[in-house]
Amino acid sequence: MAEAHKILATIKTALEAGERQQYLDLANNHAPVVPPTRRVPIAGPEHRAELATSLARELELVGGKFAGIVSPAELSNRIVTLAREIGAKVIAIGEGASLDMDAIGEALERADIKVVKAVPVADSERLTMREQIANADLGIAEAEYGIASTGTLAVISTETRPGSLTLLPTASLIIVQIDRVVHDLAAMLAAHGPARLIEHRLTLITGPSRTADIEKRIVLGVHGPKALHVIVVWPRDE
Amino acid sequence: MAASPKGDFFDSSRAAVQDRELQRKLESASTRHLDHFAIVKAEFPLYEAEKDAAHRIKTDAIAHLDELLIQLTDKLHANGCKVFFAENAEQARKYIVDLAKAKGATRVVKGKSMTTEEIELNPAFKAAGIDPVETDLGEYIVQLRGEGPSHIITPAIHLSKEDIGHLFTEQFGIEYTSEPEKLTAEARQRLRAIFLTADFGITGVNFAIAETGTLIVVENEGNGRLSSSMPDTFVAIMGIEKVIPRLADLSHFLEILARTATGQKLTTYTSFISGPRREGELDGPREMHVVILDNGRSAMLADPVLREALNCIRCGACLNVCPIYRRIGGHAYKSVYPGPIGSIVSPNLFGSAAGYLPFASTLCGACKDICPVKINIPRILLHLRWKETEGERPLKWPAALEGARAGARRFAGIARHPRTIRMLGRLAAQMLKPFAHNGYLRRMPSPFSNWTKYRNFPRPHPHKRRPASSEVREP
Repeated sequence: MAEAHKILATIKTALEAGERQQYLDLANNHAPVVPPTRRVPIAGPEHRAELATSLARELELVGGKFAGIVSPAELSNRIVTLAREIGAKVIAIGEGASLDMDAIGEALERADIKVVKAVPVADSERLTMREQIANADLGIAEAEYGIASTGTLAVISTETRPGSLTLLPTASLIIVQIDRVVHDLAAMLAAHGPARLIEHRLTLITGPSRTADIEKRIVLGVHGPKALHVIVVWPRDE
Repeated sequence: MAASPKGDFFDSSRAAVQDRELQRKLESASTRHLDHFAIVKAEFPLYEAEKDAAHRIKTDAIAHLDELLIQLTDKLHANGCKVFFAENAEQARKYIVDLAKAKGATRVVKGKSMTTEEIELNPAFKAAGIDPVETDLGEYIVQLRGEGPSHIITPAIHLSKEDIGHLFTEQFGIEYTSEPEKLTAEARQRLRAIFLTADFGITGVNFAIAETGTLIVVENEGNGRLSSSMPDTFVAIMGIEKVIPRLADLSHFLEILARTATGQKLTTYTSFISGPRREGELDGPREMHVVILDNGRSAMLADPVLREALNCIRCGACLNVCPIYRRIGGHAYKSVYPGPIGSIVSPNLFGSAAGYLPFASTLCGACKDICPVKINIPRILLHLRWKETEGERPLKWPAALEGARAGARRFAGIARHPRTIRMLGRLAAQMLKPFAHNGYLRRMPSPFSNWTKYRNFPRPHPHKRRPASSEVREP
């Protein structure tokens, strides 16, 4: 750690030589950090239609595909239909954050689709499990949050819901519950909070994998999924 | 690829200025970028407010850098990461290459990282018999060509799709195609195979949250996610200036970064990585190392004017608006960091070899106007010019420029005497009158011929009023 101490000491000296106070004053004399319009609480039920519409619109703008709003009872059927539409023969799933993924898996198997289920793995089994997920035509995951203003889905990676599900298969399906859709990024980060950030890797996903490295032309699916489908679950009684 | 001697910059920029094809590609890419930016900016009424917030948070963070780095280090340790502070490029290279050797790695997958370019990591890997694979499509392409990136966001901006088509035919023996979709698919297939079995990965870092010890990696392709979650050993490398205090600060930066960098609202993937994988987890490294690099940054911190350059979030927007960059492209700068921001950070990261870059600017101020964290780049350029000419260690100028300096000194002496300069002005106006065409001089005798080589000189006019000094604004 000798280097660390040396560098930290250099930084401290540099800051003090550069009139830290003057610099701090400069920092403190600016407008408030949080713009006033940002101090909105997470939108209540009366805003849900608006949030879902915005999420769908923004998702389509970044090349994602909005696969509709369904009730919990309709979800399995909708997923089977979608799997047939895109011709998926092998589908990788994990556990849901709130949804019963086993029921979805059973519905898919009844429709003659092979289901790969992500389970906690020992180090020696990692490559095999990864290979299986990578060979899937579709990976299904439930998002922790949806962000309406940018069409973003926030997923976390755990031992039963690996991040690979939204990264390795050819296409990705992300499901989000309507009460988890928030207005913007600041609201999402505030709702998630620092403590959970340390526990699990979090990934914000805004559209399918893309590149614009060749003459700034957008091409989808350079490393991650070539398509991103999103379903919003909205209970009928609400 | 450290900055090369100044002769190189003069030569390379002169050659690049003649390259019409390069300019066509740069103009087309920059224009497209600025069009996208204009749209997303117009659609986002909070843009200016977010800019203010980001600027304030960053300024505040830099002023508390020592405390924040200690906090970050403690949190990273608590999260199970190993942290290494590198004073310079050599220490950082050695740490990473030694680690790769100790892990028995023969190949390394790399997400896009300008910092690894800065420390010249790839040649060090090759010297140790380890194969570094750039996985960002643009970086992959320039690596296949044996080049460095020519733009910090769009590394292959200087190449056409035809250039890339020919490159792939040569390198992989595949049938020629210039379709971006097919070329991308080819790269995907080749790189995917490498990713699935990679055991050593490296990425850069966009932000580091001190409060939680979380590293943020922002990207569109997914190669950053792959590089950081597939291999058993993962190294993240960041400059000391990447740290921000709290999670709540982050949204202000993310709301502006993608908008200015690529004209997107958010990039496709934003990864929050706090530590290695836990028991039973499929994704994430078993061992995670964070290299925190100084390499001249603390010296920038000690300079009250230059310090502001540490606010940079590497969006690359200043390159796209810069009239110099758009004529000569990134390679001509002979520095890893080209364009306006490169001209202010390079002399500090790479020493006096890059000391000429602050002069490669028209001071038009477009960079300052577009900068999402409001860095006053022209002011810093002027400050660096002053340091390079009048400061402690002035540059050694080529003879011709020394002559110009002496001339400027003499002129400054005369200009202090209003009566003398008015008289000389009238004299010059009279003498030059017969040589002027439509109010301009097309050719002047040496040493003034250097000016008229490229442009006409307005004929001195005896009655033209000079602006009073109070009307001259600082940039």
